[in-house]
Amino acid sequence: MSPAREGPGAGKALRRIGLYTALTLAALTFIYPFIWMASSTFKPPIEVGTLALIPADPTLDNYRTMWARAPFGRALLNSVLVATTITLAVLIFGSMTAYALARLHFRGRAALNTVTLAVLLVPGQLTLIPLYTLIVQLGWIDTYAALIVPYLFNATAILMMRQFFLQIPQSLIDAARMDGMSELRILFTIFWPLSKPVLSIVAIFTFMGSWNEVLWPLLVVREQQLMTLPQLLTVFALGGGAGTVGVSLAAAMVLVIPVVIAYMFLQRNFIESMAGAGIKG
Amino acid sequence: MPSVSFDNVRKTFGATTVVEDFNLVIEDGELLVLVGGSGSGKSTILRMVAGLEDVTSGTIRIDQRDVTPLPPRERDVAMVFQDYGLYPHMTVRENLSLGLRLRKVGGQEIDRRVTWAAGMLGLAPLLNRKPKQLSGGQRQRVAMGRAMVREPKVFLFDEPLSNLDAGLRAQMRIEIGGLQRRLRTTTIYVTHDQVEAMTLGDRIVVLADGRIQQVGRPIELYRAPTNRFVAGFIGTPPMNFVEGVIEGQDGAAFAADGMRVLLPDKTTATHGRSERVTLGIRPEDLKVDPAGDSASVAETGAIRGRVVLVERLGGLSHLHLDVGSRPHRLMASVSNDQLPAVGETITVHVPSDRVHLFGADDRALR
Repeated sequence: MSPAREGPGAGKALRRIGLYTALTLAALTFIYPFIWMASSTFKPPIEVGTLALIPADPTLDNYRTMWARAPFGRALLNSVLVATTITLAVLIFGSMTAYALARLHFRGRAALNTVTLAVLLVPGQLTLIPLYTLIVQLGWIDTYAALIVPYLFNATAILMMRQFFLQIPQSLIDAARMDGMSELRILFTIFWPLSKPVLSIVAIFTFMGSWNEVLWPLLVVREQQLMTLPQLLTVFALGGGAGTVGVSLAAAMVLVIPVVIAYMFLQRNFIESMAGAGIKG
Repeated sequence: MPSVSFDNVRKTFGATTVVEDFNLVIEDGELLVLVGGSGSGKSTILRMVAGLEDVTSGTIRIDQRDVTPLPPRERDVAMVFQDYGLYPHMTVRENLSLGLRLRKVGGQEIDRRVTWAAGMLGLAPLLNRKPKQLSGGQRQRVAMGRAMVREPKVFLFDEPLSNLDAGLRAQMRIEIGGLQRRLRTTTIYVTHDQVEAMTLGDRIVVLADGRIQQVGRPIELYRAPTNRFVAGFIGTPPMNFVEGVIEGQDGAAFAADGMRVLLPDKTTATHGRSERVTLGIRPEDLKVDPAGDSASVAETGAIRGRVVLVERLGGLSHLHLDVGSRPHRLMASVSNDQLPAVGETITVHVPSDRVHLFGADDRALR
């Protein structure tokens, strides 16, 4: 390398070292509390106050206590049932709506698009009370229906999928119609396989959103057997049922693990769609 | 026996009429080309035959059966799309067989047809590939194969070659022509490229603004265009047009600034003197007259013009001539022997039977 190019080269290396140091510090700031939480669930009460990452005297007592004091197993099942049903429904009904809004011609389509968009502008808190009243009127308090039905459709998901569907070439739809497919079949056998990026991101957001929801379950479910995991956790921790910090943390851990697993499964598609990668036939 | 017939077909999108008064009968086994510029309605007509667009009014029949209200799958037609429309996530074999599987054709029969089409199109080694792994020409063949395996009554081609480069386009054009002659399946072929239309079509329909301008065999359209649009659209390089009047002294002639062209005798009988007309001359009908001088211009109705540009194409050259004081630009397509130099004034003449005349309404005068 010529001396003339050495100067900027060295500067570049220095800048890179600085950048990586900063990024590493930032990453540590994010990851440390999580690791601390994970490790603290294995610490006896006396150790929880320390910042150490490795428990000196590891124990499973926190998990045992948690499991014994409240029906966390049942809550986990409830959460899985509710979040999975909602995610599947949002994907299926959402993509059907998105397909119609993006690719079918019918009277009132423009108006429907506007209405869907308008729904996004209404904050969830605003609909909370009318929705609650409705659920009470329907007699759905303390049922799965109360947890699931209000979330079966999602305007954000519809709009995201619609935007993606608009980019799929018309000739694929035409070819499929010539091949004899119904519109539903076109959606599920042509559009779905080509829309993995957007379907994954909608699936992850919907699943996480539903999984982490606390407020709504607190309003409509009072029976412990129907409670979702975060709800039970909140009731448990805030209600003093946990007793110790370690037990609370163990419950939080149970809450987090399924989301991490779901993320790991869909990570590739998730990052792909975050990076804005399209499809190309 | 007519294979496809259109009866007063009309199509509107909102307030815009894209196809009007469309009446046509396509014979069994015929390759009919719909040609026109963008917005001429040619693709819309094709999509109406396919069932991908509704017909606003009128009737389309396939094998004498009214298919106007039927969905695509019940029409027994297969289509090849401009961008191929291959399913990106399926292999070539799956792309070819999907339509048959959806029609509940038996597995053995599907294998037989896929093997047959793949053999005919040279796709056999590519059956397990995805469209992404194929070249443009190969994708085009898969799209054709997908139409062939259906063994439909009618093939529809929607500008199938416009995404290919020039060399491949010429090759695929020959392949499509050969394939159609072997299969003898009625075919409607849409293109904006008049060379494709001329070389492929048994008959050509020239469209403009959603209306038929002329229907005929390629050579009829070339020799006897019915209006100025068809005359200008068919033939490369395009026909020269000069505005002027009909004069009669000793036989009728066309006169414009700086030029006089003798007309066939019958023109005099049907058209009055001093009528304003447009003269059309194909570049290849203009002959350079090496002995020509000013004297012969008056007698034979030759044209004298100054050469402003010579385009050498190899086998032929294009001469661009300025004729008259407020010059009309004419183009002559001539052989390469004795090419004049730029700036030289030369004499060209046109046989009177090769002259086209168009009236004020742009219709051909006969």
